[in-house]
Amino acid sequence: MACDLPDSVQLAASACLTPLGDTTATLAALLRGERALQARPVLGREGGDRVPLALLPGRELDETAPPAWMDAVRTLLGAAPPAPWGDARHPVFVTSSNFGVGSLYAYRRGGDAAHLAYGAPFICVDWLRRELGWGDNVTIFSHACVSAHLGLMQAARLIRAGLAERALVFSFDFLSPFVAGGFHALKILNADWPAPYAVRATGSIGLGDGAAFAVLARDGGGLAIAAQSLHNEMFHFTANRPDGGGFAACLAPLVAAVGGSRLWIKGHGTGTLEAGRLEATAFARIFPRAPLVGWKGSLGHTLGSCGLVELALVAAALRAGRAPGTIGSTTPMMTDNVALEPFATAGYDAVLCASNAFGGAHAALLLRHV
Amino acid sequence: MFERHIQAIRTDDPGREEPMATRERLQGGFAPGAVRRMTQLGLLVGAAVGELAPTEDDTVVYASAFGETRTLAGFLDSFPAASPTLFQTSVHPSGVQQVLIGRQRSVRDFFPLSGGPYLAGQALLVALLAATPRVLVCGGEERGTWMAECGVASPRAFAFALALTTAPGEGALGRLALTQTSERGGLSLPDWFDVLHRRQSFAGPVMPGWQLKLEWS
Repeated sequence: MACDLPDSVQLAASACLTPLGDTTATLAALLRGERALQARPVLGREGGDRVPLALLPGRELDETAPPAWMDAVRTLLGAAPPAPWGDARHPVFVTSSNFGVGSLYAYRRGGDAAHLAYGAPFICVDWLRRELGWGDNVTIFSHACVSAHLGLMQAARLIRAGLAERALVFSFDFLSPFVAGGFHALKILNADWPAPYAVRATGSIGLGDGAAFAVLARDGGGLAIAAQSLHNEMFHFTANRPDGGGFAACLAPLVAAVGGSRLWIKGHGTGTLEAGRLEATAFARIFPRAPLVGWKGSLGHTLGSCGLVELALVAAALRAGRAPGTIGSTTPMMTDNVALEPFATAGYDAVLCASNAFGGAHAALLLRHV
Repeated sequence: MFERHIQAIRTDDPGREEPMATRERLQGGFAPGAVRRMTQLGLLVGAAVGELAPTEDDTVVYASAFGETRTLAGFLDSFPAASPTLFQTSVHPSGVQQVLIGRQRSVRDFFPLSGGPYLAGQALLVALLAATPRVLVCGGEERGTWMAECGVASPRAFAFALALTTAPGEGALGRLALTQTSERGGLSLPDWFDVLHRRQSFAGPVMPGWQLKLEWS
């Protein structure tokens, strides 16, 4: 259900962490067209095919106990506005696809029981909560690569209903042999670099570490979440309806909210062929004048965190006045609306941010200047 | 106060039933051929939700702390030749997706949650803030094997599904309401299942800041 929010909910703060650095550094690198992905063995120290993976600097793919990414998370969240996060009026929403599930593979492989302290979603999140000093009011959404959008939607509903003063949405997914091995088994993580929305013989994705936060509030930040929409096709676990109906169904409720706004679109754009074609075609048909960009050709797919990582980058691009183009792709493109080069955001009023996931799950939100 | 009316309820407590027995018991509710690939949790939750006839205009809220842990265990053991089928069905929220994909039943708003001692309350808060007139709240667990012994899977299997509406209608089975409170306490998913399965009334805190009142007609 799309909610065109008459009572504005604002993106009061946001930031992300990627292998290219913090929000500012990542945006600058994307504007320069840099690629974070590197060819690495899919199973870490156990080897395997070399595939495009983007890891935080100095971090190995293999899990450690405690997870080596915690210091980076602590640094990221240190930039969040101070508040009694996790109390009744300041709820926290943690969204991810994998949480610490890679730790189970590490345990199964090596037998070190220390890994079990991170191996189930709420066990991992409760450890995070204690490490970060949050209260108990922490809700976990787990819907693969649209997870972050669910956290943003529930946070917005609480703010709009006056049930929370501010809400913190935190999203993270860090790669592991478990995760990389799974996507490699599906054959979409292969030796090729991802080229979102580009016409080519075989599709491929990259995977990346990512974490981000967003603080939603009644005011502050200068950017409003003007509308949100979800749609779950339930057509196939890993394929979309071939007529693109799922993409269109998610976008349809947003058309009225977009109105005559001059729009640009941050798409999902993993690098798979069929989903990329359906997504780009749906955008081109419904919002024909809106340039479409995707950044997973550089960052890789950061899975459950991608919606929030890319939202933080969109917000930073709006503030900086320049949006990165679709990195990793070259012509010919699937549709004419794909922007390959960076562009100035001054000529636009709003941004549509979209994510997709297993099961034909679609999510989108409309961000505009207040 | 936020309230919804219970129009239908399904619960399933299979005890220590093994997945093969669950499959045989519930296979009549699913398309032939689909059952073979379904997880135990998918069968249990799927049967419960399926009887409530979900539509695209319903919000579906799904709660499971651990998800498809038997499939996950199988996927872990499939390395280094990882199984694509086990990977797909081990991803949360596969339990509901298995039945809805089998029925080709799209839904617009689908909120899958995980969680610990407050999971039932958190799922209900999502349900009671939903924008649709009808909300299906479902959830459950499957009994893990070695993962349960390690504390990263459920020691018991169960499933439930509730159909909630904003309007009381005729023949409502009960009513639940959430109100804000300063009282502390939580309601875990297994405890919530027991309340529903026994049709017990409930009044008390279910998550930080919120208390639940459940009354049966």
